[in-house]
Amino acid sequence: MFGVLGPNGAGKTTMIKVFTTLLLPTSGAARVLGLDVVANTGEVRRKIGFVFGGDRGLYGRISGLDNLRFFAELYDVPVREQRRRIESLLELVGLRGRERERVEGYSRGMRQRLHIARGLLHDPPVVFLDEPTLGVDPVGARELREVITGLAAAGKTVLLTTHYMFEADALCDRIAVIAGGRIVAEGTPQELKAGVREARVIEIEVFGDAEEPAAAMRTLNGVRAVTVTTHDQAQLITAETEPNAELTPALLAQVDGAAVGRVAVREITLEDAYVSLVREA
Amino acid sequence: MNTFRVLTIGGLLAYRALFNWIHPAIYIPSVLGFPMFQILFFAYLGRFSGLRDDAFFVTGNAIQAAGMAGIYASVFTIGNDRFYGTLGPLLASPASRAALFTGRALPIVANGLFVSAFGFVVGWAFLDFEPPLGSLLPLALVILVSAFATTAFGMLLGSIGLRTKDILLISNLAYFLMWLFCGVNVPLDTLPGWMQIVGEGLPVTHAVAAARELIDGAALGSVWRLVAAEAGIGAGYLIAAFALFRVFEREARRHATLETT
Amino acid sequence: MKVLRVILACWWLNLKNLSRSAFFLLTAVMAPVLLSTIAFYMFQAGGRPGTLLYAALGSAVYGIWSSTLFGSGGAIQWQRWGGTLELLVASPAPFVFAVAGFTLATATLGIYSLVATLAWGTLLFDVPLDLAHPALFVAAIPVTVLSLGLLGLVLASTFVLYRNANALSNMLEYAVLLATGMLVPLSLLPGWVTPIAWVLAPTWGIRAIRDAALGGDPVFAIAMALALAGVYLALGAALIANLERLARQRGTLSLA
Repeated sequence: MFGVLGPNGAGKTTMIKVFTTLLLPTSGAARVLGLDVVANTGEVRRKIGFVFGGDRGLYGRISGLDNLRFFAELYDVPVREQRRRIESLLELVGLRGRERERVEGYSRGMRQRLHIARGLLHDPPVVFLDEPTLGVDPVGARELREVITGLAAAGKTVLLTTHYMFEADALCDRIAVIAGGRIVAEGTPQELKAGVREARVIEIEVFGDAEEPAAAMRTLNGVRAVTVTTHDQAQLITAETEPNAELTPALLAQVDGAAVGRVAVREITLEDAYVSLVREA
Repeated sequence: MNTFRVLTIGGLLAYRALFNWIHPAIYIPSVLGFPMFQILFFAYLGRFSGLRDDAFFVTGNAIQAAGMAGIYASVFTIGNDRFYGTLGPLLASPASRAALFTGRALPIVANGLFVSAFGFVVGWAFLDFEPPLGSLLPLALVILVSAFATTAFGMLLGSIGLRTKDILLISNLAYFLMWLFCGVNVPLDTLPGWMQIVGEGLPVTHAVAAARELIDGAALGSVWRLVAAEAGIGAGYLIAAFALFRVFEREARRHATLETT
Repeated sequence: MKVLRVILACWWLNLKNLSRSAFFLLTAVMAPVLLSTIAFYMFQAGGRPGTLLYAALGSAVYGIWSSTLFGSGGAIQWQRWGGTLELLVASPAPFVFAVAGFTLATATLGIYSLVATLAWGTLLFDVPLDLAHPALFVAAIPVTVLSLGLLGLVLASTFVLYRNANALSNMLEYAVLLATGMLVPLSLLPGWVTPIAWVLAPTWGIRAIRDAALGGDPVFAIAMALALAGVYLALGAALIANLERLARQRGTLSLA
């Protein structure tokens, strides 16, 4: 399972649309299973499944079962196979028993699951999943992740996009981090974590001007980077420092005069690395 | 806020804002092209069925088409307000309701006039329709009254549309209603009694009858009753529209349902 | 055959989909029924006996046309708004056949109008339903639906490719009603209308149905309708191929 991780607007969806032949590349080439997506469009379409998810993409006034039957026809699934496969897919995604209801009555999670079933109807060797758990409640999302893991285990090649760090970390064998349309890091989750330099992170919540103190902090010895973000009423100054430096008092001295809220000290995580990676881009 | 300004400027701005989809590429086929073919079709059907001369169908359909433009515009003005969420702020403003609505209605009435005139020109250009010169001014008056009456009717429908959600359905139903009951293509007296009664209560009916007499050469004086009837019907619908609107508005404020789409 | 499966699948889906839309059904059925009523009154008041069946049939075919125009013009757009357009394009099924299936369904729904109009005429206006060639009449109906449905294919793609064409659809309703001789014989119209009428499917559809009911040469009209259907399919295929390519270039297959 390959994960593509990046913030909104990074280009994850664009990339998937190119792979699924929905978008023509303006330059360069893309290949799936060795087939060019532009020159061999028909063959590519037969061999891939994709799930974009969301509330749309299904015929609301028709039952889930009828939706699946329809797409099975479009994907040329042999008639004899259809019933068996639809049944096992409904079982897999946990929609057994609800398939005869109209899709307009399905919850978001149910629709997502129906989408996954739809994407697998023709048993494709390659599956693209674009932010499959977006907007799904936590319990439903966990169930979905189990299904997704099962796909890779069944021998399919799965490309998953997400902006949830923990999801990519937990599910994927390899991850690529993209930002601004470029790959900024690639490797197994372990490799990415190892690539994160050891560092200490000090977070200081400030009420009032944070830019000036932040600028001053950057000049301090042992401080690698300082960023300012806004959280509700307060500004959050995040300073990345050498792992063994005790810089908290020095940093706090810079905000002397302003009202200070929460102060926290911790070790750097993959999430911080990810955030700084995509912000640099 | 100065009432006059609300009337004119407010109306114009609102009209432009809500009708920014009306640019020539859409306006011409929908508001002019459609009635043109409607007139041509019924005139030819009239020739085929041997019912009446072209003038009969041109007057009927031109006025009905203008009426429909007014109804669609009114219904959509109110409906769009709700859709774009401008209804709430509008109602919350202290401006006089009457001025507000009149301001919005004026461009609609003007449009109705234009569409009627266009319909008559189509009839004159492509069919055997030659109204006597002396009838043109009285005709304009009749059309003006009819435009007012149908706009008022449209406002009533629009108010109803605030409650139901299907303004499109209501507008289409109105179209069919007028087609059938207003004596547009079939002389009113050939229709069964109950249909005549319904027709008498709708706008357009009396205007069409008056227009037809004027084209036949009658003087304005002899059709004033019909014109008055049309004006009266319009006034009635206007009052009903206002009243209904206030009722719904009060209800919606109580139940917070006004902005739901 | 795979192509047939795709067309049938899309046809069936859209048939179900539209049948469950009260708005669509209401508009599709009411308009022709009301038109026939007006036509009946006009014919009766105008004193032309024996033409009530003529009026009924013309209104019925108008119903098929109205349903097709309304349903097909927006066919591709609705899919886009519903998020299903992408899924259709990305499937291995040739997109043109999928759209054809959809537009054929809109024409098929016109049969509701046909039945409604004829029933209405028989019940309320005593329209006599004696058919000259009943078998050909029954054959003419699906042929009309087919040719109109494929005209719908052309409409569907044109209305997406050229957005201003969409505004024309309102105008086309009456224009086509007039120019194809559904209720007004072509002989009454200026001569230059005739060649235009000949390339429009409803002209042959109504001729086939009318000739089968009232006597004439339905076979010729049926053949012409089928020939036109072929032309529409070819034209539609070209337009759709263009449409798909442009949409994939510009990324307009979905709203986001």
